[in-house]
Amino acid sequence: MIRVKNLNFGYGSSEELVLRHVNLHINSGDIALICGPTGSGKSSLLKCFNGLVPHFTGGTMSGEVLVNGKAIQGRQPRQLAETIGYVNQQPEGSFVGDTVEDELVYGMEQLGFTRSKMQGQLDWVCRRFDLGPLLERNLNQLSGGQQQKVAIAAALAAGQRVLLLDEPTSALSPDAAQEVLAILRDLAKNDGITVAIVEHRIERVLDLVDTVITVHGDGSVTQGSKQTQFTDYRYAPPLVELSQKLNWPAIATSLEAALPHWDSSKVTITERLPEVSEKTPDVALRVENLTAGYGNGDVIKNANFALNHSSVTALMGPNGSGKTTLLSALLGTLKLKFGTISTIDGNPVHMKPERRLRLITAVPQQASDLLFLNTVSKELAESDKFGGLANGTTARILESLTGRIDPQRHPRDLSAGQQLSLTLAIQLANGAKILLLDEPTRGLDYQAKHRLAKQIIRLRNEGHCLLVSSHDVEFVAQIADRVLEINQGQIKATSSTETALGPNSPHPTQLASLSQSNNLLSVGQVWPA
Amino acid sequence: MPLPKAENFHPTTWWILGLLLALTASMSTDPMLMVSICLINVTLLLVFRGESNWAQSLNFYLALAAIVIVTRVVFRVIFNFSDPSAPAVLQLPAIELNLGFGMKSSLLGRVSAQAFFSALTDGFRLAAIILSVASANTLANPRKLLKATPGALYEVATAVVIAINLAPQLIASLLRVRQARQLRGRSKGLSSLASIVTPALEDTIDSSLALAASMDTRGFGRKGQVSSTTIAISRTATALALLAAVLGIFFLLSGSGNWLAALAFLITIGATSISLRATSKQGLRSRFRVIKFQGKDLAVISFGIATLALSMALGA
Amino acid sequence: MTLKKSPWFRLLITSLSGLASLMMFAWPLFISVGSEPRYSQTVFLILMPVLLVLLLVEYSAGGIDSRQIALLGVLTALNAVIRMLGAGTAGIETSFFLIIISAYVFGSSFGFLLGATSLLVSALLTGGIGPWLPFQMMAAALLGLLAGSLPKVKSTWLQTANLIIFAFVGSFIYGGLMTLWNWPFLAGQGSTVSYLPGGSIADNLSRFIQYEIFTGGLVWDLGRAITTSVLILLTAPALLATLNRAANRAGFVKPLV
Repeated sequence: MIRVKNLNFGYGSSEELVLRHVNLHINSGDIALICGPTGSGKSSLLKCFNGLVPHFTGGTMSGEVLVNGKAIQGRQPRQLAETIGYVNQQPEGSFVGDTVEDELVYGMEQLGFTRSKMQGQLDWVCRRFDLGPLLERNLNQLSGGQQQKVAIAAALAAGQRVLLLDEPTSALSPDAAQEVLAILRDLAKNDGITVAIVEHRIERVLDLVDTVITVHGDGSVTQGSKQTQFTDYRYAPPLVELSQKLNWPAIATSLEAALPHWDSSKVTITERLPEVSEKTPDVALRVENLTAGYGNGDVIKNANFALNHSSVTALMGPNGSGKTTLLSALLGTLKLKFGTISTIDGNPVHMKPERRLRLITAVPQQASDLLFLNTVSKELAESDKFGGLANGTTARILESLTGRIDPQRHPRDLSAGQQLSLTLAIQLANGAKILLLDEPTRGLDYQAKHRLAKQIIRLRNEGHCLLVSSHDVEFVAQIADRVLEINQGQIKATSSTETALGPNSPHPTQLASLSQSNNLLSVGQVWPA
Repeated sequence: MPLPKAENFHPTTWWILGLLLALTASMSTDPMLMVSICLINVTLLLVFRGESNWAQSLNFYLALAAIVIVTRVVFRVIFNFSDPSAPAVLQLPAIELNLGFGMKSSLLGRVSAQAFFSALTDGFRLAAIILSVASANTLANPRKLLKATPGALYEVATAVVIAINLAPQLIASLLRVRQARQLRGRSKGLSSLASIVTPALEDTIDSSLALAASMDTRGFGRKGQVSSTTIAISRTATALALLAAVLGIFFLLSGSGNWLAALAFLITIGATSISLRATSKQGLRSRFRVIKFQGKDLAVISFGIATLALSMALGA
Repeated sequence: MTLKKSPWFRLLITSLSGLASLMMFAWPLFISVGSEPRYSQTVFLILMPVLLVLLLVEYSAGGIDSRQIALLGVLTALNAVIRMLGAGTAGIETSFFLIIISAYVFGSSFGFLLGATSLLVSALLTGGIGPWLPFQMMAAALLGLLAGSLPKVKSTWLQTANLIIFAFVGSFIYGGLMTLWNWPFLAGQGSTVSYLPGGSIADNLSRFIQYEIFTGGLVWDLGRAITTSVLILLTAPALLATLNRAANRAGFVKPLV
């Protein structure tokens, strides 16, 4: 269905090709996974299939892309609209209509379908995606999973035979992701629709895919089965990583597949987190009877806890449970209604912002919100100047965190991981020992998460007190000394990470489920005996 | 039988009625008629308005109408020509002001009854026009109106729909960036505007690219065949409409003929609709939901026409 | 064949509409004795939207692609939101600086459309729709059109200086036009600060200036001109860089013909 021959694509000179000599083939009715590290060009490859590359991205492209036997070179995306459906990373940002029905018929209207034909197609997608009851609903009243279903339905409503999806499940809860993936399986197997998915949460789609296309980041692209593609793939989910580490004869793509291998493996298990050499067990931050919220509503209700130096605490809870609000209250950006926050240096809420910044600091969910200058070096210089620091202080912190970043680059062109490191360096430059991170793993691939985990552990060992909000259990298992669970604004008793993510908890890590052991949460602890 | 709500009418119906009522008010010199048009509009609003938020603005428009009436009268009282022959209703001390550059002004003084009542009449006429627009705007759902725009305005309507849908997200993102800035310890003042707007603008541009990709991959911008005759027709009609408009304005302002002006404006309206029709033909697009005029729409419009005709007959 | 835009045709209809719009704003200055002002007032309330539609169609239909529409949509939203948030702070007019800067980067056609849609959407969001809206839209659209045709200079500082001067003059004129529009409505006829049919333009202008002074309109217009210039001074270097980056992000937005 999709055949690519000797494709090259790049923005500048030939040495910097994003995609080099790409050859691949996706059969009719197959589901293909396109994976690779962040910024490797996997989205670009997907966009080559429908003309978005180069028409919407710029750059030059050579070679041949055939869809359904026809070459698509030189054709605008709109000229391929009846053959290929495409769904963006964020469905809510790609809606054009007001209601579900508007959105579903939009493509057909653009293509000039007759009303009876539109009605027929509309009936089909409503049945297929179970959208009948939602037709009249306003698009922004839908849940994330429903929005994703509408976006996929709208991309196929005009009878497209090829579906391109850019990270369809990364913003979804596990249940919603399962529902969307079940529909995709159906579309491929029963309707014969060819599906290509870019996804970095590989573990979610692994079970589903027929062929794996890996974009390696150096321009090269390979294609093969799950087994061949994942034998030495470095950006892999825990089970795949474990399969590689223990040299299992086959890569495990599900828990069931992993169990027999695990049972027959001989392994040594090490401590999850390194010992802190100079223990400073004193309390860094104490919160008593804290109540906070917006207007009349209390989002955080009567919270009590304390955080130590040289420790990482993970703040976990479902969406909307008050994680971000709690962080805002600790930072003083949200007024407390009741309660006290104390540190050795006093109550940060009553401090001037400049002084508070030397005590407690944070990186928000979208780290790039803090970046507003047009080169990395200007950002670093501004940070030195603001803090009254010696030239190059912030740059040195950045280097210690992540290595060198080209100072002339635009902060917006950095990868999500680099943006995070840059923001972290700027925030740490003022010497704060208490650091709050809000969902830091959004948009990071497994390698970037590993690097971030190392940075966090280093800060912990240097005596920092870290509070990290996250719902990424695998990541929390790599960093957290303990877990603070929050639900509907209530802080439940703190627990050890082993209890919170262990085999008997509601959200165990993959390794905990596999080993059924309380002392094994993360692949980093396992070594071949 | 309960009356249908405003939402069940064609969205342009209310605008046509509003324009007819505004026309009626502006053609007349009878203050009672203007008061009745104000009352008609308020009644329409109270009877037909729905629950949605765009329909909650009655108070705003009523306040505005009141302000206009009061301003008009106050202006006449403060900046008033004293006409010694007319009977006075108010006798105030006069103030002479020299504004420099040879401009002199006299304030207050003697106010004649005739001046007072003509100001009041003008005020009510304006209030009637404002309330006519207000009832049209309040009763016609703007989103439905955008869907009923002719094909020639499709692109602009699309941009407007995008903007309306995106605004709430943008408010959230601006507030988020502003809060993030506080995290970096920088001030919240006016000087911080660039650093708040820049990240928001970057996000905005990224999302516009994503949105454009989503529109284009679904066929937005596909064009049908247009004959050169159609293009010629649309251009000629546009030029004709504008030329007639300029001439009409000239006739109207120079006092050289209201009927000539009326003819010119009719040509403008006619040529505009021809131009819009011709331009609308170039798209390949079809529409799934076509909102049609129904009996009740015609009834509402007839009511407007009858009001206009009646007031003109009475005036003559 | 597709509809190609002819620059001469565009120039013709833009000047015709510009002339007509100017007359519809400034009529109290030169209306003659024999004319009926209340007819003019009402007719113009209908005629201005008609003109606006014709120009919007000319500047958009068939000649603008999905990327420009989407950019227009999101910039309009940003503008409307900034205007809404700014309205709270002591009458500061925050809607124009972004129209002017964006028009300067993306060209006069884009500027025209952005000016019109920004005012429309902010009125839709705040419920401030009234007979004045088409006039505001036309004035802002023409402001965008002019900002888009400012000469393109190399240095950012010259660009900023250019824009600041334009913003000051442009937003002052915008304010003047809108006051001119509400003048006959609020002051009516027959007072010392209302227009005098058949009077000389100089006489009427002096009455208008008195009206501006007494109503505080002049202060308001000056305030708008100053805030717009200050906002441009504060944000232009950063925003120009951001928008130019977007325009240059290969193939993103080619200037409209």
